[in-house]
Amino acid sequence: MNPRTPALLVMHSDLAAALMRAAEKVYGAVEDVEVLSNEGLSREEMEQAIARRFETWRDGGLVLTDFWGGSCHICGVAAARGHGDVVVVTGLNLPMLLDYLHNRDEYGPLALADRLMRKGRDSVRLHHGQPS
Amino acid sequence: MSWLLQRIDDRLIHGQVVVAWGQRLHPDRLWVADDGAAADPWERDLLAVAAPGIEVRVVSVAAMAAAWAEENLAAGGAFLIVRDLAAALALVEAGAAVARFNLGGLHYAPGKSKVNEYIYLDEADRARARALLARSVALEVQDVPGARVESLAALDPESAPA
Repeated sequence: MNPRTPALLVMHSDLAAALMRAAEKVYGAVEDVEVLSNEGLSREEMEQAIARRFETWRDGGLVLTDFWGGSCHICGVAAARGHGDVVVVTGLNLPMLLDYLHNRDEYGPLALADRLMRKGRDSVRLHHGQPS
Repeated sequence: MSWLLQRIDDRLIHGQVVVAWGQRLHPDRLWVADDGAAADPWERDLLAVAAPGIEVRVVSVAAMAAAWAEENLAAGGAFLIVRDLAAALALVEAGAAVARFNLGGLHYAPGKSKVNEYIYLDEADRARARALLARSVALEVQDVPGARVESLAALDPESAPA
């Protein structure tokens, strides 16, 4: 069995904490997931705050961020520099977070990141008119 | 057309630049004039892919000053981002004819005092602001396009020349 793959959610405003609250409504109580807001932080402060979490990650982990090109994404990538076992996944939504929670004990960081990316893409669908 | 926005922002490329200003002004090129980033190939690569659909050029302040006039006449629109007031002043002193800077984000650090929610300055910053204003470079505080534009000198009288 894999060791649990840890994750840090880094997002604008209070989105990470709100996503976690929503996930707990669906999944139940969650342990071992940290959240970080970019609110009021310079780039250096954000990078340092993210990198501090890596100190307790023995076998890598996931940095889950909101959108490509945002400070959370940029700082996540910069903080992960030199940490080959840390993967940054951008574009997190609730289905992806729930999939992470259900599978974090089954997959290592790389395989889990790939799974979440596919889950995120599959979770965006259109509905118009009658259900089919 | 060329220069659409000249911004001072210690986060360099980030969401307000890419999404808010980018979607409003649709630049073709985004220049990051930053000596540290320009000297670091890894950082250059990171910034180069940070703004999808926009060509990102990461250069030193001196190189930006040298390219300023040519970019000013180039087809399409361009953004400039510098990290702080020191780089902004250095760029102007090196000959770049900047009419105005948008102050979009200078975060708190020890010794800096609050101007508003996203601008914090210390005495060295204020001296640079005064030097820029004395050169008739407008300093406008505005984080996103929908926010009200305020002059730095009005918000922070210590930044205004005597």
